Amino acid sequence: MAAYSLSTDSTTNIPDYEYLDVNTKPFHIGSFREEWLSRLKAGNSSYRHEDDDTFDANFAKEMEVGVETMTELRSVCSVDSLRCHPEDQQPDTDVVPADSTLKTLEQRKKRQDYKASLKVTKNRHDLYADELERLTFGRKPGAEADLVPEGEVILSINVYYPATFEKFTYVRPHMTLLMTGSHTLAELRDAICCVSDLQVCGEFSNTPDMAPDFISKDHFKSAFFYFEGVFYNDMRFPECQDISITTIEWAKTRNFPSYSQAKMEDTRFVDLKVKVGFPYLYCHQGDCEHLVIITDVRLSHKDDCLDKKLYPLLTHKHRVTTQKCAVCHVFIGRWVTTNNQFAPSDPCLFCDKCFRMLHYDADGNKLGDFLAYPFVDRGAFN
Amino acid sequence: MDYCRKQVKSDCEELLSRFQQTESVRFEVFSKIWREMNFSHIFYGTLKREKRAFSRLVLDIAYSFFLPPFSFQIRVGGLYLLYGLYQCQTASPPEQIRLALKDWDDVKKFEKDAVDAQHYDTVYIFRKLMSLKAFHFTAMPTLLAYQKKRKVERSALCEDFLERASRPQELINIELLEELSNIHGLYEKMKTSVSSISEQANSSVNLIHKDLMPRLRSTVVHFYNWQQRKDGAEEDEDSGEGTSSQQECSIRAERLASIKSKAYGQAAEASKSRRHRQVEVDFTSSEAGPSNTPGPSRITKPSLKARTNENVHISGDVWQEATTTTQINRLTSLDSVPEGTASSHTSEMFHTLIHWTLFAALSLFCMLTCNMSMKLKA
Repeated sequence: MAAYSLSTDSTTNIPDYEYLDVNTKPFHIGSFREEWLSRLKAGNSSYRHEDDDTFDANFAKEMEVGVETMTELRSVCSVDSLRCHPEDQQPDTDVVPADSTLKTLEQRKKRQDYKASLKVTKNRHDLYADELERLTFGRKPGAEADLVPEGEVILSINVYYPATFEKFTYVRPHMTLLMTGSHTLAELRDAICCVSDLQVCGEFSNTPDMAPDFISKDHFKSAFFYFEGVFYNDMRFPECQDISITTIEWAKTRNFPSYSQAKMEDTRFVDLKVKVGFPYLYCHQGDCEHLVIITDVRLSHKDDCLDKKLYPLLTHKHRVTTQKCAVCHVFIGRWVTTNNQFAPSDPCLFCDKCFRMLHYDADGNKLGDFLAYPFVDRGAFN
Repeated sequence: MDYCRKQVKSDCEELLSRFQQTESVRFEVFSKIWREMNFSHIFYGTLKREKRAFSRLVLDIAYSFFLPPFSFQIRVGGLYLLYGLYQCQTASPPEQIRLALKDWDDVKKFEKDAVDAQHYDTVYIFRKLMSLKAFHFTAMPTLLAYQKKRKVERSALCEDFLERASRPQELINIELLEELSNIHGLYEKMKTSVSSISEQANSSVNLIHKDLMPRLRSTVVHFYNWQQRKDGAEEDEDSGEGTSSQQECSIRAERLASIKSKAYGQAAEASKSRRHRQVEVDFTSSEAGPSNTPGPSRITKPSLKARTNENVHISGDVWQEATTTTQINRLTSLDSVPEGTASSHTSEMFHTLIHWTLFAALSLFCMLTCNMSMKLKA
């Protein structure tokens, strides 16, 4: 933010491809918004719906056409002129029409026939995604003050999970968040859920009730984002450290271009200068590194979720398979034990209930000899 | 949703090429073609989540026809297509058309052209879309997630839709020619005034053709004629009558292909049956064939599956050998025989050894799979 002064040259803030269909050249998000607003008329980006009659009247006035031409124009250009079925019968839009000449439909028919031949009909992921969409689409705020202002920028941000396996090239597990331009990077940080924030370090076989008090998130609060040569550090709390300094010093001794620092909580998205589509970094818990890609920047629209309170808005979530308890095979594992004489394997996973029933007597006294560590499943956020 | 991109694109191109043939920009003409093709049906049969994804895809594809380098008529068609698709989509609330900032000037210019030419329906539809809030004002036409493509697919722009280059004609018009001839006259005069002393010196400063203007003009006219001719020729092809020379070409290509396939087919057959003896004959025969065969496309490594199949075939032969002779004795003796004495034998032994290990691995694999399937059944 401090590193970049507002660019005066107007063309540099009109985003264009750096590599075709891959990413753009860097541009300043605030100036991008100004560029759009300066080009659009007041009504274009407003949420208000203009009714048809005023539209026609304005059109007739501006183009200087008579009433007759206007009525003709209106009837010619009406949606009815595109209708492909008789007026009195409504077609079933869920069925692929038979004997269509469109190639898309031929393919879709084939695909559906094939899918019908499969035994699996339901896809859980689709159900979850539908649910997520229902929660957010076109939400209007209760109070006027919570309305996302007209002409606000909305960013869509993909945060990828740290993964090194080869499959990553094909499936990139990530979450997608929508944020407005007035959000700070710290708010993005708080919206990112990652299991490494929930990990508990230590052995708790003697005091299993104490475990939840030691979440990493509360212990190690330092984190940074990296965008276009600037490290944005989280400095909201007294125990936060500047963990980017190591990298900066290292780069300095090796003749890299110099990097600068700024504070996460003071930086709004409109202050950023970024490339759309380009991978940047979010690092927390010392070495848990996520790629962050801003996939889209646009002006807000009347059909968007307009309730400010619902932002940062989650629109996509990758769901991973969870590891179940070795005893009941029903609940997600919460404890992992080693050197355990009761366990069939070493290490072994238990859910909380089974763990306590097997390893402690009715008064909560530890039975036998074993080591127990709290376990947080990767799918904890599913 | 990417799997149907090609099909959607070709459907849109079909609609637009029919629109192009009418040589009109009227919306009633477009909507007639739309109804003839039942284009609204393109949304039918998409379920739930697919609806939104498909709307996104189809609007993105249609959007590309609304921009240069396509001709004005195609862009009008693209606009109508966007309007039709936006109004007919099944997703609710509707998916918006993504309008990128860098394309805005083109769109504005398009609107101005339409206004100037008094295409009321075009302007009406554009303004209508605006008033319906059908646009997202975005940074880029699509969402970008750093998807690098290993193989860059050049998506072919439909040639017929492109605007014909007309810059030469525009640049070199009558006024320019007049201006140029004036300047040329002045220039000649100055030259003669400078070098009036002798005729010899005159020729040394003759840097420009005397007949510059007529030449320039004739070149442009020639270019224009060539362009017209080319378009004419293309139309001929469209009507289905391929020129005779083209047919000849294709026949020749087919013949070459058949010769090639024969030559390689033989080589492959020979090598399959006795791979372990390394066939090396067929290089000569392929060289004797047509020498202008393309190099790089020929070297295609068969897939792992194909190669495994081939290997399995060979080990089948070995299996027969193994049943007739006492292979195991030979194998065990291999260790005890000193290297020097068994030199003639070793290579053969070595092959059998390899085949044996292969066979053993294979049988192990078979047993494993049997076990697996048994377990699965149980």
